[in-house]
Parts: sequence; structure tokens; C-alpha cells
Amino acid sequence: MPSHHHHCRKKTFWSRRDFLFQSGGGIAGLALADLLGRQGLLAAGAAQPDACAAPLAGNPFAPKAPHFEPRAKAVISLFMSGGVSQVDTFDPKPALARHAGQPLADSVVVRQGHPGPLMPSPFEFRRHGESGIEVSEIFPHLGAKVDELAFIRSIYGRSNDHIQATYEMQSGQIRMGFPAVGSWVTYGLGSESASLPAFVVMNDHRGGPLGGPNDWSAGFMPATYQGTLFRAVGDPIVDLQPPDGMTVTQQRARLDALARLNEIDLARNPANSELAARIASYELAYRMQGCAPEAVDISAESEATKKLYGLDNPLTEPFGRQCLLARRLVERGVRFVQLFHGGLGQQNTDTWDAHSNLRENHALHAAETDLPIAGLLTDLKARGLLDSTLLLWHAEFGRMPISQRGVGRDHNPGTMTGWMAGAGIRGGQVIGASDDFGYRAVEQRVSAHDLHATILHLLGIDHTRLTYRYNGRDMRLTDVHGVPIPQIVA
Amino acid sequence: MPGARLSVAAVLTVAATAMLAAAAAAQTPPVTFEDHIRPIMERTCWNCHGAAAQLSGLDLRTRAGALEGGAKGPALVPGRAEDSRLFRMVAGLDEPAMPMGGEELADAEVAALRAWIDQGAHWDAGGATPAAVALAALEGGELPPGARDYWAFRPPARTPVPVAGAFTHPVDRFLEAARREAGVVAAPRADRLTLLRRAYLDLTGMPPTPAQADEFLADTARGAWERLIERLLASPHYGERWGRHWLDVARYADSAGFEQDYTRPNAWRYRDYVIDAFNADKPYNQFIREQIAGDELDHTTDETLIATGFLRAGPRVQFREKDNPERRHDYLDDVLETVGRGMLGMTVQCARCHDHKFDPIPQRDYYRLQASIFGYVETDWPLLDRAAADAWRARNAAVDREQQPLEDEIAAIEAPYRERFRNELIRERFPENVQAAAFKPEAERTPGEQLLAAQVLSINSPRWDVAAAMSPEHKARVDALRARLAALDARRPPAPAMAEIVTDGDYRFAPDGPGDQVIGCPECRLPPDEPGTFLHEPGGPAYEAPPSYFLIRGDPFSPGSEMSPGFLGAATYGDPPTVVPRPDGRTSGRRLALAEWIASRDNPLTARVIVNRIWHHHFGRGIVRTLDNLGRMGDAPTHPGLLDWLAVEFMDRGWSIKQMHRLLMTSEAYRMASAYRHEASAAADPDNRLLWRYRPQRLEAEALRDAIMTVSGGIDLTVGGPPVFPHVPEDILRTSGGKGLWCGTPPDGRRIEVPHEGIWCVEPDGPQVWRRSVYVYRRRSLGFPFFETFDLPDQNQTAAARNVSTVSTQALTLMNNPFVLNQARLFAARLERAAPGDLQAQIELAYRIALTRPPTTAEAAIARELAAGRGLVDLAHVMLNLNEFLYLR
Repeated sequence: MPSHHHHCRKKTFWSRRDFLFQSGGGIAGLALADLLGRQGLLAAGAAQPDACAAPLAGNPFAPKAPHFEPRAKAVISLFMSGGVSQVDTFDPKPALARHAGQPLADSVVVRQGHPGPLMPSPFEFRRHGESGIEVSEIFPHLGAKVDELAFIRSIYGRSNDHIQATYEMQSGQIRMGFPAVGSWVTYGLGSESASLPAFVVMNDHRGGPLGGPNDWSAGFMPATYQGTLFRAVGDPIVDLQPPDGMTVTQQRARLDALARLNEIDLARNPANSELAARIASYELAYRMQGCAPEAVDISAESEATKKLYGLDNPLTEPFGRQCLLARRLVERGVRFVQLFHGGLGQQNTDTWDAHSNLRENHALHAAETDLPIAGLLTDLKARGLLDSTLLLWHAEFGRMPISQRGVGRDHNPGTMTGWMAGAGIRGGQVIGASDDFGYRAVEQRVSAHDLHATILHLLGIDHTRLTYRYNGRDMRLTDVHGVPIPQIVA
Repeated sequence: MPGARLSVAAVLTVAATAMLAAAAAAQTPPVTFEDHIRPIMERTCWNCHGAAAQLSGLDLRTRAGALEGGAKGPALVPGRAEDSRLFRMVAGLDEPAMPMGGEELADAEVAALRAWIDQGAHWDAGGATPAAVALAALEGGELPPGARDYWAFRPPARTPVPVAGAFTHPVDRFLEAARREAGVVAAPRADRLTLLRRAYLDLTGMPPTPAQADEFLADTARGAWERLIERLLASPHYGERWGRHWLDVARYADSAGFEQDYTRPNAWRYRDYVIDAFNADKPYNQFIREQIAGDELDHTTDETLIATGFLRAGPRVQFREKDNPERRHDYLDDVLETVGRGMLGMTVQCARCHDHKFDPIPQRDYYRLQASIFGYVETDWPLLDRAAADAWRARNAAVDREQQPLEDEIAAIEAPYRERFRNELIRERFPENVQAAAFKPEAERTPGEQLLAAQVLSINSPRWDVAAAMSPEHKARVDALRARLAALDARRPPAPAMAEIVTDGDYRFAPDGPGDQVIGCPECRLPPDEPGTFLHEPGGPAYEAPPSYFLIRGDPFSPGSEMSPGFLGAATYGDPPTVVPRPDGRTSGRRLALAEWIASRDNPLTARVIVNRIWHHHFGRGIVRTLDNLGRMGDAPTHPGLLDWLAVEFMDRGWSIKQMHRLLMTSEAYRMASAYRHEASAAADPDNRLLWRYRPQRLEAEALRDAIMTVSGGIDLTVGGPPVFPHVPEDILRTSGGKGLWCGTPPDGRRIEVPHEGIWCVEPDGPQVWRRSVYVYRRRSLGFPFFETFDLPDQNQTAAARNVSTVSTQALTLMNNPFVLNQARLFAARLERAAPGDLQAQIELAYRIALTRPPTTAEAAIARELAAGRGLVDLAHVMLNLNEFLYLR
């Protein structure tokens, strides 16, 4: 892809910028320079420390101060779409083997058909690390990291429907129309990057997650705060590059003429900050053209790094690429990176939604993600980023301890195991517990609101004070609920 | 402090819920706080969670403290000991066991705590308040004194028009009075071309053509402006523009939402109804009546039935509805929220679980309103007259009856084959233990095996397998039966056009929706012998709405008293009927009564809300900025006298929206310049609240796309009909799922079946999809990307004013999107055709087409430099990116 390569080079981008601000000159150039902030762009242009990292005036994502000293600056959320079975991954239940084949209870409500009997995990659990936490054999690499992970074995939700459960985990509400946690975070904190979107979403190579774009929508907030979908291959953002046939010089000519004409217009319409902001948005867009491909261009990564993420293996390559890109984005100041594993297509096989064959399904998806996630942890730590980055792993719900036709498991919002890492969180701990069979969370039950309160707290935000006025009410991500998990924020 | 008020209300509600639960539960001897619990607390809890210390932030000295809880969350869930940490920890169910380091509680003490919490955890010495008293307090819903002593609840009065300088227009006199008070100075009139462009974009959502501009400029006689307004109001494109504003209010979409996101193949008829209503200047009170009770009017027509699509335009799951009976309450809430915020400017939905925190809307009002719409059912309606519709149904039913025995016979023949295939499938696909369970005699199965057997024996085998395996005799018989079925199908009457409507019925008898299989919850169904029908049967007894109840904390499973229909007490004057009995007995007349109350002159909210919305679209900001909230948490009106005057004027002018356009657009305020600098005014009123200059507005997503296509000349101005599918890149389609898509444009009036799965009809970018944006398919799970980028409002809730964001993805779209570039090429070709080879003329024309004005010398120079150096397409593309192009100003 020649055009792709072409735009990946910062040099091209900067020569265009230089043109706009130096040779563009004249009235337009001066006014624009004034508008965009002499200190920001022009200083950066002169020194060129890192073009993409230079601040940009008029940036709607300019960083905002948190409520208190944050523990983390960025979040990488790893969402396992379809629903991961806790009893086959991170919440071992020996009682399932002892009571295999027996009914669970009279009142079990399942999503599909009739309830089956208790089904033991087809996988072995092994103790790992100093903490001795048990992890299923399908996660050998994450098993080796247990001393860095804080497991929460008591997350529960309100819906056994994929979409509504996903909305709840993403926005706290089971209805459509509410901003995702990433939107709230960028609304509250802005972004450290002036060349990339603040809230980036990357989907599974097989397609989007259940729930689709509503999973990263800004709901009632302005579109500014919605997640920007980055594609793992090709141009990361839709319409990032001009279509084939338009050259950089051509685009440069158009943008220069546009800037000059807009300057004339601005002079006729004084004191209109929106017009000035729109002129600036073209500059940010142009920066994105230069910087976003660079951010997702992994050709400069060492072979060792690529191997660390499993890019040398077709099984781990797709999610490995997502994880590696997440690191690159966080390095470049992106505030919230939302990764989805599991995509539309064949729902029973392409997501974690293991109704029909749990063993094959979970073994496959664990194999796709285990090494890449462990690699991400290793890499972040090696680069000194782990302490300032929160990693969060969960699904929309857990799965049933009882079988579906002897081979699968149905949805279970009663309990799910998730984990957090980084952000200075004490690893090697287990928080909360489900009952003997892993059917319901019973000890220190953790809701989506609690998770969200915890995320915000780690980012230096008091979840009760982050509000957005809508519909006559000061809306909160956590509504009127939520308690930060004490063991995590301690 | 709102938090404090909230917790008091929450405690009351929780207590009442618990009491009801307790009252309904088996009688356990009451445990009292003083006799049984206080001694335990004193001995074991309060040492660490009392006056001396509050370990983990937990203070157990008061009930409020226990409910608020500590670091681990609430200690108490009244009514549910099993869910209460206090109980779980002392019972040893949760770690750490309590009392920590002390002696375990005696079994009797644990039991007492359990019973006490289960009975509601009453902390007082006097024991429980009787449940009935608590419920009565909850349901009482008396308006607090002075509830109506708030501007929005007082009937709007015809405020005297102030005298203000030389201004004659009443709107200007109101505005000028306020300006003078604040010391701000109104801008002069904008030039004629600016005004022309403003009027076109505002009323039709498209810029004027050069010919239209010439026509206006040539009309130098008195009244040219008024004549222009009349021309635009008479255009069919007016309804497309202003109807779109209402479709935001109606949370309109062409799909149902949620996981399946089924296509609603006839939803567009409601969209066209709205467009037609605006074009016809349907009086707003009639517009309301039709949308809320179009099936209940004295004279119902296809049009009024289609209008009820308003009620069901919101998101619906339409899948396994019978397994989730509580969803119906969410749908009713969607309707009440839409009516409340959309028509009444009141956040009625806030009173679903408790009395409204800020406005005088008791929870009881919510459930009275709910009772007014509770007969609500959604159905597809043939667009035939009543007799023909009944005949159509009857003929279909007759075919159904004849087909049933044939289908039964086929099923009987196929049954053994199906069983064989199912058993083969079980052997192939399932492990030993499952096979063993399935194939052993029922009596020998263990309880677990019974479950497995039930799961696999319910599997269906595919029909084609069965057909291929049948014996020749069976096959011949089945083929013959199928031929007869087909022959019977041929006798079905042709499917008429259908509308998606709402009428009264009994939701408990609803037929399955698409994909609505009842699984896992057979008891959610009514028993088959239960009398009743989904819709009213002609000739049967008069329809009666099913009972509805006050729901404690909004919980469908905690019903209180049965509710009768009613309205918002604070906004009700006189004694309007809550039921308007229908002579035909088909419906309850409750929605009609609701519609009449909303559409009444005596309703203090309705006219204010709509004139404020109209004002907002003309001036870029409402007199009350929060269009959907005139309550205490909304913004105060900037010009309360003017708002009232307009509301009265609106009603006096027959609730005519076009009359309001004429009134507002002939004011000087509407004709002020937006490019106007006045330092003193800017200092005194930086937000331009007092309207001292015209407020520029960025075009909405739809208007922007339409303007681009108008300028390029590519736009197809066909009015109405099924939706169109502009091109969406495939990898975006892959981010979304769903079912029930139809592609292509069916002939008008024909019933559209739903044969496909998919999410968007993939069409290349081309003239067939360059229809106005109001006709673009609205999929709830996938906003059309161009619209999303330019602040499409959430399609799932009634919308207030649209957000206006300025983000770089908008710049990327206008710079790089293939649609925009195609339009730029088209625009360039148009210029070349109009003035072949004459760059000067082409530049002149480009400005007149895109910006409704000639270029200045400086602009022409820049344009010439670009076009001469690069090409005309480059210039055309730049024109579509100009700030000036994007704004109505």
C-alpha cells in the first residue's frame, strides 16, 4: 500500500505543516499562528522534539485536572465479548466435580431452553506464583502473572442478555443512550495527546462486539467524547486519508486555500470561538493523518517485542496486534483504550458465548488472548508504564455452572470473575467470592457501578463529583450508586 | 442537600417494600428492635461500629447509618437478610465473621437478627408502621402547597406588549425592552442575500439556487420578504426540514433496537405522516390528538392510525418478550418519557420510582398517566377501511383454519423421522452421559439426567433431512398435503399496505413478535383456556383496559393499589375527563382523554413547549434553553413575558405552526446581522441571551448533507417513501449486528416482508441514494456515520436541542470522505457545464451556488490561484469545507 506508507512518514506531514505556518505566511498564517497558540505549535515546530506530542491550542481534549492525585493516567480495558465462564478460568469450583450431573436448584433461570445439571470444568486448575492463586490451564501465561493481578470473583450484573449486559458494563445502564466509561473518563480528564483521539476503540478482527457502536457511544454527551474506532489494519480511522488518486500536494493546496478563505471569514465574524475551533479542528485532523498511522505502524517494533505479543503466531497475532497497539497508544497519551475480543460473525464460535461447546470455545479464545495479554503486562512493566496504566479484564457476564446439553454453558449475570492490574494495584489478591458452585456472587458483591467508581478513583476522579447536566439532572456514570473497591484503591 | 432528601425518600420506599413483602410472607412472630436487637447491638456491634469507633467507616447506631453502610457497602437490605452484610457476617456466611474477635452469637440471636431484617429492620421502639399506612403515604401523592406557584404551571397570560422605541413588531418590542434594560444594542439588518440564505436553510434545509436568489433580488417591491416566506412554506421541502425536528422529539428510527435490532418495515409511514402534517400545517393540537389517540378519534383514518406510530417509535426488544414481562413497563416508560419531555417539557419519567425530586410530580401522577396508556398494544394494521380490514382478517383466518388439519397431518407423518434424526444428532454431537440420559426410559433417569434429556430431546432436526429420508408413500402424501396448503395460500387475499400502529388491547394475549420464542419461562404464558383476546373483537362487549397498579419503587413485581387514569396534577385546571367513552367500544377512551388534556388551552405546558421549540429552531436557542425541561432543573426563560405572549398567540392562531413562522420571521430580530461587533453588548451579554445579534447555527448533520448535494446538483428531491441506504463502508457494517433487513425499494403500498438478515443494504454511492437525509434509513444500533460524526442525537430517547461539537473527525469527513469528494466532482462538473472554460465565471458561480453571494476580490484571487494551479474540483471541494458553508447565519 504505497499511499499508506507515504502518509506514515512524519516527514511528509511536517513539510506540509511547515508550509502552512511558514511559507503560508501572510495574514492567514499570522492569524492562524495566533489562533493556534504561538507557544504550542510554532515552538514545537521549531524544535521538533516530537511533532505528534506537541500540544495544540483549541484542542477539545486539552488535559483537565483530576479531583485528587491519580494513581493511573490511562486505561486499557480488555473486554471479552460473549461472556467468559468464571468456573473454567479464574474461579475454581471443586464442588462441581463432586456434584457433577446433579441439578443445581429448582429456581435456576437460564437464557436458552431448559436448565441442565451441574457440569465440572473440563480444564485443570493450577496454583501459580507466590500468592498461589489457582488459574485454569488454558491461561498458562496469565497464570504466571497472578502476582500482578487482582482478581474480583464477585462481579454481578442485571441482565442475561448480551447487549444489555454489555451496556451495563460499559455505561452502568442496561439501556441504550448512556455514555460509555471511556466517554466519561475523557470528559473528566481530557487527553494527554493532541494528535490522537482521547478514547480509542479496537475491535476483534472478526467484527464488532455484541451491542455494536452503542458500546462506545457518548450517549447524551456531545460526539466529542465518543470512542473513535481504530481499525487494526489499514488506515486506523475512517476517512483518515484521502482516497486513492489524491496526492499529498493536492491536499495541501486545498487545505491552504481553505485556511486562507476561512481566515477572511473569521475576520468578518469576530468573537466567534466556534469558527476558530473549527479551523483548529482541521489542524488536529491533519495531525491525525500524520500521527495516527505512525501510532499504529508497528514496523519499528523489535522482533522480540512482536514475539512477546505473539505476532509470530497466526493464532495470537490478531489480539496480539490489538494489545501492542494499545501500548503504543497509551505511550502516545491516549487516555482510554477499549479492546474487544470476540466479534460478530458466528456468535457461538467467534465470541466467548459458549452455548454449544465450552471446551473448544474457551480453549480457543484463551489461546488467542493469553499470551498477548501477558505480553502487554510484561511490556508495560518493562517500559515503566504499568504503574501509570490501569488494565481491566472482564466480560459482560459469567456463565452457568450447569451445563447446556452436557457440553456448553448458558449466560449467568449472577457472578463473573474479572481482574485489574497496573496502576499500583496490589497483585496476587482475590477479592469477593461466588458461592460453592459459582452461580451467584455472595461475598463482597461488585456491581458495574462499583467497577466504574473504582476506575474513576484510580484516575483521580471522585465518581460522585463527575457530573454532566442532562435532562435537568446532574448525571453520573455511577447514577446514585457505586463504591470504589477498597482493596483496589487502598 | 439533595443527597439527604434522596436518602429519606429511599428509606421510606425501601421500608414500604419490605413491609409489603413481610405482610405477604408467612406470619413470623415480630421481632422488635428494643426487645431483641438492641441488646445484641449493645453487646457485640457498637464497640467497633458505634460512638467510640466506626471501623470500615460503618456506623451501626442508626438505621440510616446501617443502610448507608461502610467501605464494604450497605450493612442492611431491609426485607432481605440473606443479602444483608450484617446478617451474613454474624451468621458466618461472609468473611470476616462478626463479631470480630468476640464471641459468636447464639443461634437464637442470629435467627432473631434474620427475622428482624426480613421483617424490615425497624429501628424504632414502637415497632412497625402498618404496611397499609406506609403504602398510603407512598401513594398519597398530594401536591405540596404552592406546587403551582411556578411559572410553567401557571396558565400563560397574554402579556401586554411593551413599548420599546421605534419597534412595531410585538416580538421586537419584547426583545428590545429586555435589551434596553441590560444596555445591549441590537444589530442592524443583515443584507438581503444573507437573509435569503437564512430563510432557505431554516425553512427547507437547503441553500437557494442562483435562480431563486435572482428571483428574490428582482422582487424589490414591498412585501418581498413575506412573499419569500410564503413560497418556502408552500414548498414540500419545508415539511422535510421541520418534520425532521419533530422526528428528533419522537425518537424515530427504522429499526427496533437492542440485540436483534429488527427492521420496522413500515415505520417510514409515520415519518411521512409527520412530513405531511408539517406541510399541511396540521393544527398542533390535532397533531397531538392523532399521535396519542389516532385510533380513538371520532373519525379515524389511515392517517390518524399511522400517527400512533409516535407511541411505538422508541426502542423495543421484540425478542423473547414473553420471558421478560417486566420489559413492558420499560416501553410504557419510554412512551411517558417521550410524551413528558417531548410535549409537556416535564421529566415525568423521574417519578417512576419515587416522587419527583424537583418538580411537583408525585409518583402517583406517573402511575395515573401510565393507567391512561395502559391499554397500549402494538400491532400491524392493514391500511384498508374498517370493513375491508375485517374482511381481510376473516379471509386469512378462514385459510388458517383450513390449513391447520393439513399441517397437523404433516407433523404426524414427519414425527418419527424427526425423532430418528434427532437421535442420530444426539449420538453424533453429545458426550456419553448425555446420550445415556436421553435414551434411557424416563423412569430410570436421575434428576440430573432428566434435565439433560429435556435439553437434548427438544432439539429440532432440519426439515430437509426429513424430506430426503421419507418413504415413497409418506413423501407422496406430504407432497400432496403441501400442494393443498399452497393452493389454500393462493386463496389468501393480497396483502394490503400495513401500518405500525398502537391501539388498545390486552397485552397478555399478544401474539409472538418476530423471533419471540417462549423458552425457559412457560409460566410467563397465560394458560390456553384463559378467556380474552389481544385486540377487541368486533361485536364483543366493550373493551376494558387491563388493570394497572402503582408500583412500589417502580418494581413491576411490587404492585400497590390499582390505578385509575389521570394527569399531572400540577398542570391540570378544572376537571377534565380522564376517560372519553367511545361509542364503538373498541378502545377505552383513556388515551383520547390524555390527548385532549395535553392539547387543551387549559394545559399550561403544551403551547409553551412547542412555541419554545419553534423559537429554538429559528433563533438557535430556546427562550427556555432546555427544550424538554420547563421544570425547576431546566433553564429559566430569558424572556418569560414573550414566551407567554407567544403561547397565547399560537393558540389564538389556531395552533398553527406556519403562523408562528410568519410571525417570528417577520420580526426585525430574525433579520438581524450575525456578523456584528458591539463591545458594550458583548461585555454585558457575552452569550447573546438577549438576542442583540443573530445567532449563527452550525447546520445539523442532515441539513449539511442535503446542502452538499444541493450545491453539487446531485440531490434527488423525491418526497416520501421507504428509506434509502447511502453507502457505508463494509468494515463499519461489521461493527454492528442485527436482523431483519430488506433491500431495494418495494412498490409503494405493498407489504414489505422481512426476508433477510443483515444490517444495511449495501449500495454504491450514486444518485439512487442521493435523497434528502430525512429519508436515510435510521438504524438504532448503527448510526449513519456521516450523521454520527455531525452530532446525530441518540436515537433512543426523545431529544432536546442537538449537541454541536467541533471535532477533527468532522474535518476528516469533509476532507476525505468519498461521498463528499464525489459531490465535489459533481459540483465542479456543474460549474464547467455552466461556464465552459471561463474560470472567472466558474468562481463567481461557485460562490453564488455554495454561499449565495459573489466572492470578494481577495477570495476570488485565492480561488483562482487554487483552481488554476490544481483544478476546479479542488476549488469545489474547498467550498464544501468552508466554515461559511457549514453555518446558518
